[in-house]
Amino acid sequence: MTDTTTPAPAAATAAKAHRARRRIPTRTPHQAVRPGARRGGPLAALPWALPASAFVGVLLVYPFFRSVYGSFFEDNGFTSSYTGIDNYTRLADDPIFGRSLLNTLMWVAGTLLLPVLLGLLIAVATHRSRFGGVAQLVIVLPFAISAAATAVLWNFMLTSDGAVNQFLRGVGLDSWAQTWLLEWPQNTLALIVASTWQATGINVVLFAIGLRANPRDTVEAAQLDGASGWRMFRYITLPQLRAVTVVVVGMAVVNSLKAFDMIWILTKGGPSRSSETLALTMYREAFRLFHVGYGSAIALVLSVIVVASSWAYLRRQMPDTGWAKA
Amino acid sequence: MGRVVRHLFVTGCVVLWLVPLYLLVVNALTPAAEYEGRPDWTFQGFDFVDNARTAWTEAGIGDSFQASLLYSVVCGLLAVLVAAMAAFAVVVLPVPRPAFWFWLIYSGTLFPLQIFLAPLFGLYADANLYDTRLGLMLVYVAWAIPFAFFLIRNQMTTMPPELTEAALIDGASFGRIFWQIHVPLMRAGLGAAFIFQFTAVWNDLLLGITLSRSADVQPVMAALTTLNNAYSSAGPPVILAGALIVSAPTLLLFLVFRGLFLRGITASAR
Repeated sequence: MTDTTTPAPAAATAAKAHRARRRIPTRTPHQAVRPGARRGGPLAALPWALPASAFVGVLLVYPFFRSVYGSFFEDNGFTSSYTGIDNYTRLADDPIFGRSLLNTLMWVAGTLLLPVLLGLLIAVATHRSRFGGVAQLVIVLPFAISAAATAVLWNFMLTSDGAVNQFLRGVGLDSWAQTWLLEWPQNTLALIVASTWQATGINVVLFAIGLRANPRDTVEAAQLDGASGWRMFRYITLPQLRAVTVVVVGMAVVNSLKAFDMIWILTKGGPSRSSETLALTMYREAFRLFHVGYGSAIALVLSVIVVASSWAYLRRQMPDTGWAKA
Repeated sequence: MGRVVRHLFVTGCVVLWLVPLYLLVVNALTPAAEYEGRPDWTFQGFDFVDNARTAWTEAGIGDSFQASLLYSVVCGLLAVLVAAMAAFAVVVLPVPRPAFWFWLIYSGTLFPLQIFLAPLFGLYADANLYDTRLGLMLVYVAWAIPFAFFLIRNQMTTMPPELTEAALIDGASFGRIFWQIHVPLMRAGLGAAFIFQFTAVWNDLLLGITLSRSADVQPVMAALTTLNNAYSSAGPPVILAGALIVSAPTLLLFLVFRGLFLRGITASAR
Protein backbone atom coordinates (compact mmCIF):
# COMPACT_ATOMS: atom_id res chain seq x y z
CA MET A 1 0.00 0.00 0.00
CA THR A 2 2.86 2.31 0.61
CA ASP A 3 4.42 1.71 -2.77
CA THR A 4 3.89 4.52 -5.24
CA THR A 5 3.50 2.06 -8.11
CA THR A 6 0.34 0.47 -6.68
CA PRO A 7 -2.01 -0.52 -9.52
CA ALA A 8 -5.08 1.64 -9.97
CA PRO A 9 -7.87 -0.62 -8.56
CA ALA A 10 -5.97 -1.16 -5.31
CA ALA A 11 -5.33 2.55 -5.08
CA ALA A 12 -9.05 3.21 -5.52
CA THR A 13 -9.91 0.78 -2.71
CA ALA A 14 -7.33 2.41 -0.51
CA ALA A 15 -8.74 5.82 -1.29
CA LYS A 16 -12.23 4.62 -0.40
CA ALA A 17 -11.02 3.20 2.91
CA HIS A 18 -9.25 6.46 3.42
CA ARG A 19 -12.38 8.49 3.00
CA ALA A 20 -14.47 6.17 5.11
CA ARG A 21 -12.17 6.25 8.08
CA ARG A 22 -10.89 9.83 7.96
CA ARG A 23 -7.29 9.13 8.77
CA ILE A 24 -5.06 11.77 10.21
CA PRO A 25 -2.13 11.98 7.80
CA THR A 26 -3.21 14.07 4.87
CA ARG A 27 -0.98 12.06 2.57
CA THR A 28 -0.70 8.31 2.51
CA PRO A 29 2.68 7.15 3.79
CA HIS A 30 5.02 7.27 0.91
CA GLN A 31 8.49 5.93 0.79
CA ALA A 32 10.41 8.43 -1.23
CA VAL A 33 13.29 6.05 -1.68
CA ARG A 34 11.91 3.10 -3.56
CA PRO A 35 13.16 -0.42 -2.87
CA GLY A 36 15.79 -1.20 -5.43
CA ALA A 37 16.94 2.37 -5.55
CA ARG A 38 20.52 2.96 -6.46
CA ARG A 39 21.84 3.52 -2.96
CA GLY A 40 22.83 0.54 -0.82
CA GLY A 41 19.87 -1.82 -1.35
CA PRO A 42 17.17 -2.58 1.18
CA LEU A 43 19.57 -3.42 4.01
CA ALA A 44 21.04 0.08 4.08
CA ALA A 45 17.87 1.32 5.77
CA LEU A 46 17.90 -1.22 8.57
CA PRO A 47 20.40 0.55 10.86
CA TRP A 48 17.95 3.45 11.06
CA ALA A 49 15.18 1.26 12.48
CA LEU A 50 17.38 -0.95 14.64
CA PRO A 51 18.05 1.19 17.73
CA ALA A 52 14.35 1.83 18.35
CA SER A 53 13.50 -1.79 17.65
CA ALA A 54 16.22 -3.00 19.98
CA PHE A 55 15.07 -0.83 22.88
CA VAL A 56 11.43 -1.72 22.40
CA GLY A 57 12.12 -5.35 21.60
CA VAL A 58 14.32 -6.09 24.62
CA LEU A 59 12.61 -3.93 27.22
CA LEU A 60 8.95 -4.07 26.17
CA VAL A 61 8.14 -6.77 23.63
CA TYR A 62 10.20 -9.53 25.25
CA PRO A 63 8.82 -8.76 28.75
CA PHE A 64 5.32 -8.82 27.27
CA PHE A 65 5.68 -12.37 25.97
CA ARG A 66 7.58 -13.43 29.08
CA SER A 67 4.65 -12.14 31.14
CA VAL A 68 2.13 -14.11 29.10
CA TYR A 69 4.30 -17.23 29.47
CA GLY A 70 4.82 -16.59 33.18
CA SER A 71 1.08 -16.39 33.81
CA PHE A 72 0.93 -20.19 33.38
CA PHE A 73 3.29 -20.75 36.31
CA GLU A 74 2.94 -20.67 40.05
CA ASP A 75 5.85 -18.40 40.83
CA ASN A 76 6.80 -16.79 44.15
CA GLY A 77 9.94 -15.13 42.88
CA PHE A 78 12.24 -18.00 43.87
CA THR A 79 10.64 -21.22 42.72
CA SER A 80 8.17 -21.68 39.94
CA SER A 81 6.17 -24.61 38.68
CA TYR A 82 3.93 -25.03 35.67
CA THR A 83 0.25 -25.00 36.59
CA GLY A 84 -1.50 -24.51 33.27
CA ILE A 85 -4.47 -22.19 33.42
CA ASP A 86 -4.79 -22.46 37.20
CA ASN A 87 -4.03 -18.78 37.70
CA TYR A 88 -6.93 -17.89 35.43
CA THR A 89 -9.43 -20.25 37.03
CA ARG A 90 -8.42 -18.87 40.44
CA LEU A 91 -9.36 -15.38 39.26
CA ALA A 92 -12.98 -16.43 38.95
CA ASP A 93 -13.24 -17.41 42.64
CA ASP A 94 -11.12 -14.61 44.05
CA PRO A 95 -13.38 -12.07 45.84
CA ILE A 96 -10.57 -9.50 45.76
CA PHE A 97 -10.33 -9.83 41.98
CA GLY A 98 -14.12 -9.47 41.79
CA ARG A 99 -14.06 -6.28 43.82
CA SER A 100 -11.12 -5.04 41.78
CA LEU A 101 -13.00 -5.69 38.54
CA LEU A 102 -16.04 -3.86 39.93
CA ASN A 103 -13.89 -0.88 40.91
CA THR A 104 -12.33 -0.87 37.46
CA LEU A 105 -15.81 -0.77 35.92
CA MET A 106 -16.72 2.09 38.27
CA TRP A 107 -13.63 3.94 37.08
CA VAL A 108 -14.59 3.47 33.44
CA ALA A 109 -18.21 4.51 34.02
CA GLY A 110 -17.17 7.41 36.26
CA THR A 111 -14.67 8.61 33.68
CA LEU A 112 -17.30 8.65 30.95
CA LEU A 113 -19.75 10.40 33.24
CA LEU A 114 -17.44 13.02 34.73
CA PRO A 115 -14.31 14.01 32.78
CA VAL A 116 -15.75 13.22 29.35
CA LEU A 117 -19.26 14.63 29.77
CA LEU A 118 -18.04 17.58 31.82
CA GLY A 119 -15.30 18.19 29.26
CA LEU A 120 -17.88 18.27 26.46
CA LEU A 121 -20.17 20.65 28.37
CA ILE A 122 -17.35 23.00 29.33
CA ALA A 123 -15.98 23.02 25.78
CA VAL A 124 -19.41 23.86 24.34
CA ALA A 125 -20.11 26.47 27.03
CA THR A 126 -16.79 28.24 26.54
CA HIS A 127 -16.79 28.01 22.74
CA ARG A 128 -16.55 31.49 21.20
CA SER A 129 -17.29 33.21 24.51
CA ARG A 130 -15.39 36.18 25.81
CA PHE A 131 -13.50 34.63 28.72
CA GLY A 132 -13.72 31.11 27.35
CA GLY A 133 -9.98 30.93 26.71
CA VAL A 134 -9.16 31.89 30.30
CA ALA A 135 -11.69 29.38 31.68
CA GLN A 136 -10.20 26.65 29.51
CA LEU A 137 -6.69 27.53 30.67
CA VAL A 138 -7.71 27.23 34.34
CA ILE A 139 -9.38 23.89 33.77
CA VAL A 140 -6.51 22.43 31.76
CA LEU A 141 -3.89 23.66 34.25
CA PRO A 142 -4.03 20.53 36.47
CA PHE A 143 -3.13 18.49 33.38
CA ALA A 144 0.36 19.97 33.65
CA ILE A 145 0.66 18.59 37.18
CA SER A 146 1.56 14.94 37.62
CA ALA A 147 -0.98 12.43 38.86
CA ALA A 148 1.24 11.90 41.90
CA ALA A 149 1.24 15.58 42.87
CA THR A 150 -2.51 15.75 42.23
CA ALA A 151 -2.97 12.78 44.52
CA VAL A 152 -0.90 14.43 47.26
CA LEU A 153 -3.04 17.56 46.99
CA TRP A 154 -6.29 15.60 47.06
CA ASN A 155 -5.09 13.55 50.00
CA PHE A 156 -4.90 16.86 51.82
CA MET A 157 -8.46 17.66 50.62
CA LEU A 158 -10.01 14.28 51.38
CA THR A 159 -8.49 13.07 54.67
CA SER A 160 -10.95 12.90 57.52
CA ASP A 161 -9.96 16.35 58.82
CA GLY A 162 -9.22 17.64 55.34
CA ALA A 163 -10.52 20.62 53.43
CA VAL A 164 -13.62 18.95 51.98
CA ASN A 165 -15.00 17.89 55.35
CA GLN A 166 -14.03 21.23 56.83
CA PHE A 167 -15.99 22.99 54.11
CA LEU A 168 -19.03 20.73 54.54
CA ARG A 169 -19.07 21.34 58.29
CA GLY A 170 -18.55 25.04 57.72
CA VAL A 171 -21.69 25.35 55.59
CA GLY A 172 -23.76 23.26 57.98
CA LEU A 173 -23.78 19.96 56.09
CA ASP A 174 -22.25 18.04 58.98
CA SER A 175 -23.99 14.83 58.03
CA TRP A 176 -22.33 14.92 54.58
CA ALA A 177 -18.86 15.01 56.05
CA GLN A 178 -17.43 11.51 56.13
CA THR A 179 -14.29 9.42 56.04
CA TRP A 180 -13.99 9.66 52.28
CA LEU A 181 -11.02 7.38 51.83
CA LEU A 182 -11.76 4.75 54.44
CA GLU A 183 -14.95 3.08 53.24
CA TRP A 184 -16.08 1.48 50.04
CA PRO A 185 -17.65 2.65 47.74
CA GLN A 186 -17.06 6.30 48.57
CA ASN A 187 -13.29 5.86 48.43
CA THR A 188 -13.46 4.81 44.79
CA LEU A 189 -15.94 7.61 44.04
CA ALA A 190 -13.73 10.18 45.78
CA LEU A 191 -10.75 8.95 43.75
CA ILE A 192 -12.73 9.35 40.54
CA VAL A 193 -13.63 12.91 41.52
CA ALA A 194 -9.98 13.68 42.27
CA SER A 195 -8.94 12.32 38.90
CA THR A 196 -11.75 14.31 37.25
CA TRP A 197 -10.12 17.48 38.51
CA GLN A 198 -6.97 16.51 36.66
CA ALA A 199 -8.29 14.81 33.55
CA THR A 200 -11.16 17.04 32.43
CA GLY A 201 -8.96 19.78 31.02
CA ILE A 202 -7.48 17.73 28.23
CA ASN A 203 -10.94 16.62 27.13
CA VAL A 204 -12.02 20.26 27.03
CA VAL A 205 -9.05 21.03 24.79
CA LEU A 206 -9.81 18.11 22.48
CA PHE A 207 -13.50 18.94 22.20
CA ALA A 208 -12.62 22.59 21.64
CA ILE A 209 -10.43 21.57 18.69
CA GLY A 210 -13.36 19.57 17.33
CA LEU A 211 -15.69 22.53 17.76
CA ARG A 212 -13.34 24.92 16.02
CA ALA A 213 -13.02 22.51 13.10
CA ASN A 214 -16.79 22.52 12.56
CA PRO A 215 -17.74 24.67 9.60
CA ARG A 216 -19.69 27.76 10.60
CA ASP A 217 -21.99 27.37 7.60
CA THR A 218 -23.97 24.51 9.12
CA VAL A 219 -24.44 26.48 12.33
CA GLU A 220 -25.60 29.53 10.40
CA ALA A 221 -27.90 27.46 8.22
CA ALA A 222 -29.43 25.89 11.33
CA GLN A 223 -29.84 29.33 12.85
CA LEU A 224 -31.70 30.49 9.76
CA ASP A 225 -33.96 27.49 10.14
CA GLY A 226 -34.69 28.60 13.69
CA ALA A 227 -32.64 26.08 15.66
CA SER A 228 -31.13 27.18 18.91
CA GLY A 229 -30.17 25.94 22.37
CA TRP A 230 -30.71 22.25 22.92
CA ARG A 231 -31.82 21.47 19.35
CA MET A 232 -28.74 23.16 17.94
CA PHE A 233 -26.54 21.20 20.34
CA ARG A 234 -28.28 17.87 19.76
CA TYR A 235 -28.70 17.96 16.00
CA ILE A 236 -25.85 20.18 14.77
CA THR A 237 -22.99 20.35 17.26
CA LEU A 238 -23.01 16.82 18.62
CA PRO A 239 -23.06 14.95 15.28
CA GLN A 240 -20.14 17.02 14.06
CA LEU A 241 -18.15 16.08 17.15
CA ARG A 242 -18.43 12.36 16.50
CA ALA A 243 -14.87 11.86 15.28
CA VAL A 244 -13.30 13.71 18.18
CA THR A 245 -15.60 11.94 20.63
CA VAL A 246 -14.22 8.57 19.53
CA VAL A 247 -10.73 9.79 20.37
CA VAL A 248 -11.69 11.39 23.68
CA VAL A 249 -13.69 8.39 24.86
CA GLY A 250 -10.97 5.99 23.77
CA MET A 251 -8.20 7.86 25.52
CA ALA A 252 -10.25 8.53 28.65
CA VAL A 253 -11.27 4.89 29.04
CA VAL A 254 -7.73 3.64 28.50
CA ASN A 255 -6.38 6.18 30.99
CA SER A 256 -8.96 5.18 33.57
CA LEU A 257 -8.00 1.53 33.11
CA LYS A 258 -4.32 2.38 33.51
CA ALA A 259 -4.84 4.71 36.51
CA PHE A 260 -2.32 3.77 39.16
CA ASP A 261 -0.52 6.74 40.72
CA MET A 262 -3.63 8.45 42.05
CA ILE A 263 -5.00 5.32 43.76
CA TRP A 264 -1.62 4.16 45.01
CA ILE A 265 -0.89 7.44 46.76
CA LEU A 266 -4.37 8.17 48.09
CA THR A 267 -5.36 4.77 49.45
CA LYS A 268 -2.71 2.21 48.43
CA GLY A 269 -5.74 0.29 47.17
CA GLY A 270 -7.04 -0.07 50.70
CA PRO A 271 -8.35 -0.16 53.26
CA SER A 272 -8.20 -3.95 53.08
CA ARG A 273 -7.89 -3.77 49.29
CA SER A 274 -11.35 -2.27 48.84
CA SER A 275 -10.36 0.47 46.38
CA GLU A 276 -8.02 -1.59 44.20
CA THR A 277 -8.48 -1.62 40.46
CA LEU A 278 -6.89 -4.23 38.23
CA ALA A 279 -3.78 -2.08 37.81
CA LEU A 280 -3.31 -2.00 41.60
CA THR A 281 -4.23 -5.64 42.19
CA MET A 282 -1.59 -6.74 39.71
CA TYR A 283 1.08 -4.63 41.41
CA ARG A 284 0.15 -5.85 44.89
CA GLU A 285 0.00 -9.51 43.91
CA ALA A 286 3.29 -9.46 42.00
CA PHE A 287 5.43 -7.09 44.06
CA ARG A 288 3.98 -7.11 47.59
CA LEU A 289 2.66 -10.67 47.91
CA PHE A 290 5.12 -12.25 45.45
CA HIS A 291 2.42 -14.09 43.52
CA VAL A 292 4.27 -13.33 40.31
CA GLY A 293 2.42 -15.78 38.08
CA TYR A 294 -0.96 -14.73 39.43
CA GLY A 295 -0.01 -11.08 38.97
CA SER A 296 0.97 -11.77 35.38
CA ALA A 297 -2.43 -13.37 34.75
CA ILE A 298 -4.13 -10.22 36.06
CA ALA A 299 -1.84 -8.08 33.90
CA LEU A 300 -2.88 -10.07 30.85
CA VAL A 301 -6.58 -9.70 31.68
CA LEU A 302 -6.04 -5.96 32.10
CA SER A 303 -4.15 -5.76 28.81
CA VAL A 304 -6.91 -7.57 26.95
CA ILE A 305 -9.47 -5.15 28.40
CA VAL A 306 -7.31 -2.14 27.51
CA VAL A 307 -6.72 -3.22 23.92
CA ALA A 308 -10.35 -4.28 23.42
CA SER A 309 -11.70 -0.98 24.73
CA SER A 310 -9.30 1.11 22.68
CA TRP A 311 -10.01 -0.81 19.48
CA ALA A 312 -12.39 1.70 17.91
CA TYR A 313 -10.05 4.54 18.76
CA LEU A 314 -6.96 2.70 17.60
CA ARG A 315 -8.48 1.79 14.25
CA ARG A 316 -9.03 5.43 13.57
CA GLN A 317 -5.42 6.18 14.52
CA MET A 318 -3.82 3.44 12.50
CA PRO A 319 -1.93 4.29 9.37
CA ASP A 320 -2.49 2.40 6.12
CA THR A 321 0.02 -0.25 6.96
CA GLY A 322 -1.92 -3.08 5.41
CA TRP A 323 -2.07 -4.92 8.72
CA ALA A 324 -4.58 -2.56 10.20
CA LYS A 325 -7.35 -3.44 7.78
CA ALA A 326 -8.94 -6.02 10.06
CA MET B 1 -31.68 32.78 29.95
CA GLY B 2 -29.48 30.25 28.18
CA ARG B 3 -26.60 32.64 28.37
CA VAL B 4 -27.00 33.13 32.13
CA VAL B 5 -27.02 29.38 32.75
CA ARG B 6 -23.97 29.02 30.55
CA HIS B 7 -22.01 31.69 32.39
CA LEU B 8 -23.03 30.33 35.79
CA PHE B 9 -21.92 26.84 34.77
CA VAL B 10 -18.54 27.99 33.49
CA THR B 11 -17.94 30.23 36.51
CA GLY B 12 -18.88 27.40 38.86
CA CYS B 13 -16.45 25.04 37.15
CA VAL B 14 -13.63 27.59 37.19
CA VAL B 15 -14.17 28.20 40.94
CA LEU B 16 -14.27 24.46 41.65
CA TRP B 17 -11.02 24.04 39.73
CA LEU B 18 -9.32 26.96 41.41
CA VAL B 19 -10.16 26.06 45.03
CA PRO B 20 -7.77 23.07 45.26
CA LEU B 21 -5.01 25.10 43.62
CA TYR B 22 -5.64 27.98 46.02
CA LEU B 23 -5.55 25.66 49.04
CA LEU B 24 -2.34 24.10 47.71
CA VAL B 25 -0.61 27.47 47.56
CA VAL B 26 -2.01 28.82 50.85
CA ASN B 27 -1.09 25.74 52.85
CA ALA B 28 2.31 25.33 51.24
CA LEU B 29 3.02 28.85 52.51
CA THR B 30 1.86 28.21 56.07
CA PRO B 31 4.83 27.94 58.46
CA ALA B 32 5.12 24.23 59.25
CA ALA B 33 5.33 24.84 63.01
CA GLU B 34 2.13 26.89 63.03
CA TYR B 35 0.01 24.37 61.17
CA GLU B 36 -2.83 23.39 63.50
CA GLY B 37 -3.93 20.09 62.03
CA ARG B 38 -6.61 21.49 59.74
CA PRO B 39 -6.38 23.20 56.38
CA ASP B 40 -6.00 26.98 56.36
CA TRP B 41 -8.28 28.93 54.04
CA THR B 42 -6.41 32.22 54.38
CA PHE B 43 -2.73 33.05 54.15
CA GLN B 44 -1.01 32.39 57.49
CA GLY B 45 2.47 33.40 56.46
CA PHE B 46 4.90 33.22 53.58
CA ASP B 47 7.23 30.46 54.64
CA PHE B 48 7.38 28.65 51.33
CA VAL B 49 11.17 28.79 51.25
CA ASP B 50 11.50 27.08 54.65
CA ASN B 51 8.92 24.41 53.78
CA ALA B 52 10.55 23.83 50.42
CA ARG B 53 13.97 23.53 52.04
CA THR B 54 12.67 20.94 54.51
CA ALA B 55 11.14 18.94 51.67
CA TRP B 56 14.24 19.36 49.49
CA THR B 57 16.89 18.27 51.99
CA GLU B 58 15.27 16.32 54.82
CA ALA B 59 12.68 14.48 52.76
CA GLY B 60 15.16 13.80 49.95
CA ILE B 61 13.15 15.47 47.18
CA GLY B 62 16.35 17.26 46.17
CA ASP B 63 18.34 14.13 45.27
CA SER B 64 15.43 12.69 43.35
CA PHE B 65 14.80 16.00 41.63
CA GLN B 66 18.28 15.95 40.17
CA ALA B 67 18.00 12.28 39.22
CA SER B 68 14.64 12.87 37.53
CA LEU B 69 15.95 15.90 35.68
CA LEU B 70 18.72 13.69 34.30
CA TYR B 71 16.24 10.93 33.35
CA SER B 72 13.74 13.26 31.72
CA VAL B 73 16.19 15.33 29.71
CA VAL B 74 18.52 12.54 28.58
CA CYS B 75 15.84 9.90 27.99
CA GLY B 76 13.52 12.42 26.33
CA LEU B 77 16.23 13.52 23.90
CA LEU B 78 17.50 10.01 23.22
CA ALA B 79 14.01 8.63 22.70
CA VAL B 80 13.10 11.42 20.26
CA LEU B 81 16.32 10.91 18.30
CA VAL B 82 15.94 7.13 18.10
CA ALA B 83 12.23 7.43 17.30
CA ALA B 84 12.90 10.00 14.58
CA MET B 85 15.47 7.69 13.00
CA ALA B 86 12.99 4.83 13.05
CA ALA B 87 10.27 7.04 11.59
CA PHE B 88 12.72 8.09 8.87
CA ALA B 89 13.38 4.43 8.07
CA VAL B 90 9.69 3.51 7.97
CA VAL B 91 8.41 6.55 6.07
CA VAL B 92 11.26 7.66 3.83
CA LEU B 93 13.81 4.90 3.36
CA PRO B 94 13.32 1.60 1.55
CA VAL B 95 13.20 -0.47 4.72
CA PRO B 96 11.67 -3.84 3.81
CA ARG B 97 8.19 -4.42 5.32
CA PRO B 98 7.58 -0.99 6.86
CA ALA B 99 4.37 -2.28 8.47
CA PHE B 100 6.29 -4.85 10.47
CA TRP B 101 8.67 -2.23 11.89
CA PHE B 102 5.82 0.12 12.58
CA TRP B 103 3.95 -2.44 14.64
CA LEU B 104 7.04 -3.71 16.40
CA ILE B 105 7.87 -0.24 17.68
CA TYR B 106 4.33 1.06 18.13
CA SER B 107 3.13 -2.00 20.06
CA GLY B 108 5.06 -0.77 23.09
CA THR B 109 2.44 1.88 23.76
CA LEU B 110 -0.67 -0.25 23.43
CA PHE B 111 -0.44 -2.16 26.69
CA PRO B 112 -0.58 -1.09 30.33
CA LEU B 113 2.80 -0.98 32.04
CA GLN B 114 1.74 -3.83 34.33
CA ILE B 115 2.25 -6.42 31.61
CA PHE B 116 5.97 -5.54 31.41
CA LEU B 117 6.76 -5.12 35.10
CA ALA B 118 7.37 -8.61 36.45
CA PRO B 119 9.75 -9.77 33.66
CA LEU B 120 11.49 -6.38 33.70
CA PHE B 121 12.11 -6.81 37.41
CA GLY B 122 13.57 -10.28 36.82
CA LEU B 123 15.65 -9.04 33.91
CA TYR B 124 17.01 -6.15 35.96
CA ALA B 125 17.81 -8.35 38.95
CA ASP B 126 19.79 -10.72 36.71
CA ALA B 127 21.64 -7.96 34.86
CA ASN B 128 22.48 -6.00 38.04
CA LEU B 129 20.47 -3.08 36.70
CA TYR B 130 17.99 -3.01 39.57
CA ASP B 131 18.25 0.21 41.56
CA THR B 132 20.73 1.84 39.19
CA ARG B 133 20.33 5.10 37.31
CA LEU B 134 21.45 3.41 34.10
CA GLY B 135 18.73 0.79 34.47
CA LEU B 136 15.99 3.37 34.92
CA MET B 137 17.28 5.39 31.99
CA LEU B 138 17.25 2.39 29.69
CA VAL B 139 13.66 1.53 30.50
CA TYR B 140 12.55 5.16 30.25
CA VAL B 141 14.04 5.44 26.77
CA ALA B 142 12.34 2.23 25.69
CA TRP B 143 9.05 3.36 27.21
CA ALA B 144 9.22 6.80 25.58
CA ILE B 145 10.09 5.59 22.07
CA PRO B 146 6.78 4.12 20.84
CA PHE B 147 4.60 7.20 21.22
CA ALA B 148 7.34 9.59 20.11
CA PHE B 149 7.75 7.37 17.05
CA PHE B 150 4.01 7.53 16.39
CA LEU B 151 3.92 11.34 16.61
CA ILE B 152 7.01 11.88 14.48
CA ARG B 153 5.96 9.31 11.93
CA ASN B 154 2.56 10.99 11.51
CA GLN B 155 4.25 14.27 10.86
CA MET B 156 6.84 12.81 8.53
CA THR B 157 4.13 11.38 6.27
CA THR B 158 2.93 14.93 5.62
CA MET B 159 6.28 15.97 4.17
CA PRO B 160 6.49 15.95 0.38
CA PRO B 161 8.60 12.99 -0.82
CA GLU B 162 9.90 15.21 -3.64
CA LEU B 163 12.20 16.82 -1.07
CA THR B 164 13.97 13.54 -0.44
CA GLU B 165 13.98 12.65 -4.12
CA ALA B 166 15.59 15.96 -5.01
CA ALA B 167 18.24 15.51 -2.32
CA LEU B 168 18.97 11.99 -3.54
CA ILE B 169 19.46 13.23 -7.08
CA ASP B 170 21.86 15.79 -5.71
CA GLY B 171 23.79 12.89 -4.22
CA ALA B 172 23.09 13.43 -0.52
CA SER B 173 23.57 10.46 1.79
CA PHE B 174 20.78 9.17 4.05
CA GLY B 175 22.48 10.75 7.05
CA ARG B 176 22.64 14.09 5.35
CA ILE B 177 19.02 13.91 4.21
CA PHE B 178 17.96 13.13 7.77
CA TRP B 179 20.00 15.79 9.55
CA GLN B 180 19.81 18.58 6.98
CA ILE B 181 16.30 18.17 5.61
CA HIS B 182 14.03 16.24 7.91
CA VAL B 183 15.28 17.32 11.33
CA PRO B 184 15.24 21.07 10.58
CA LEU B 185 11.85 20.89 8.88
CA MET B 186 10.34 18.96 11.78
CA ARG B 187 11.71 21.08 14.59
CA ALA B 188 8.28 21.86 16.04
CA GLY B 189 7.14 18.24 15.85
CA LEU B 190 10.34 16.98 17.45
CA GLY B 191 10.01 19.63 20.14
CA ALA B 192 6.44 18.55 20.87
CA ALA B 193 7.53 14.92 21.08
CA PHE B 194 10.37 15.85 23.44
CA ILE B 195 8.11 17.88 25.72
CA PHE B 196 5.60 15.04 25.77
CA GLN B 197 8.19 12.44 26.69
CA PHE B 198 9.99 14.72 29.15
CA THR B 199 6.67 15.12 30.96
CA ALA B 200 5.90 11.41 30.79
CA VAL B 201 9.27 10.43 32.28
CA TRP B 202 9.13 13.21 34.86
CA ASN B 203 5.67 12.12 36.00
CA ASP B 204 6.39 8.40 36.11
CA LEU B 205 5.81 6.65 39.41
CA LEU B 206 5.19 2.99 38.61
CA LEU B 207 8.49 2.15 36.90
CA GLY B 208 10.33 4.15 39.55
CA ILE B 209 8.93 2.29 42.54
CA THR B 210 9.24 -1.07 40.79
CA LEU B 211 12.82 -0.84 39.58
CA SER B 212 14.54 1.29 42.21
CA ARG B 213 14.71 1.69 45.94
CA SER B 214 17.50 3.98 47.11
CA ALA B 215 17.03 7.73 47.50
CA ASP B 216 19.56 8.88 44.92
CA VAL B 217 18.19 6.58 42.19
CA GLN B 218 14.45 6.95 42.79
CA PRO B 219 12.63 9.38 40.52
CA VAL B 220 10.99 12.41 42.02
CA MET B 221 7.41 11.12 42.08
CA ALA B 222 8.54 8.14 44.14
CA ALA B 223 10.22 10.51 46.60
CA LEU B 224 7.02 12.54 46.82
CA THR B 225 5.08 9.34 47.58
CA THR B 226 7.50 8.50 50.38
CA LEU B 227 7.12 12.01 51.77
CA ASN B 228 3.32 11.76 51.58
CA ASN B 229 3.41 8.50 53.54
CA ALA B 230 4.80 10.51 56.45
CA TYR B 231 1.68 12.70 56.35
CA SER B 232 1.25 13.20 60.09
CA SER B 233 4.92 13.61 61.00
CA ALA B 234 6.08 15.82 58.11
CA GLY B 235 2.93 17.93 58.11
CA PRO B 236 0.89 19.15 55.14
CA PRO B 237 2.79 22.44 54.57
CA VAL B 238 6.02 20.56 53.84
CA ILE B 239 4.26 17.90 51.78
CA LEU B 240 2.37 20.46 49.69
CA ALA B 241 5.55 22.46 49.22
CA GLY B 242 7.11 19.22 47.96
CA ALA B 243 4.19 18.73 45.56
CA LEU B 244 4.71 22.27 44.25
CA ILE B 245 8.43 21.68 43.74
CA VAL B 246 7.95 18.48 41.77
CA SER B 247 5.24 20.14 39.65
CA ALA B 248 7.35 23.18 38.83
CA PRO B 249 9.20 21.85 35.74
CA THR B 250 6.12 20.55 33.93
CA LEU B 251 4.04 23.58 34.92
CA LEU B 252 6.77 25.83 33.59
CA LEU B 253 6.95 23.90 30.31
CA PHE B 254 3.18 24.07 30.04
CA LEU B 255 2.97 27.81 30.64
CA VAL B 256 5.85 28.63 28.28
CA PHE B 257 5.17 26.14 25.48
CA ARG B 258 1.43 25.58 25.79
CA GLY B 259 0.94 24.85 22.11
CA LEU B 260 3.74 22.30 21.92
CA PHE B 261 2.82 20.81 25.30
CA LEU B 262 -0.71 19.98 24.18
CA ARG B 263 0.26 19.10 20.64
CA GLY B 264 1.50 15.64 21.60
CA ILE B 265 -1.84 14.60 22.96
CA THR B 266 -4.05 16.58 20.59
CA ALA B 267 -2.26 15.29 17.50
CA SER B 268 -4.48 12.23 17.70
CA ALA B 269 -7.67 14.29 17.43
CA ARG B 270 -6.89 16.29 14.33
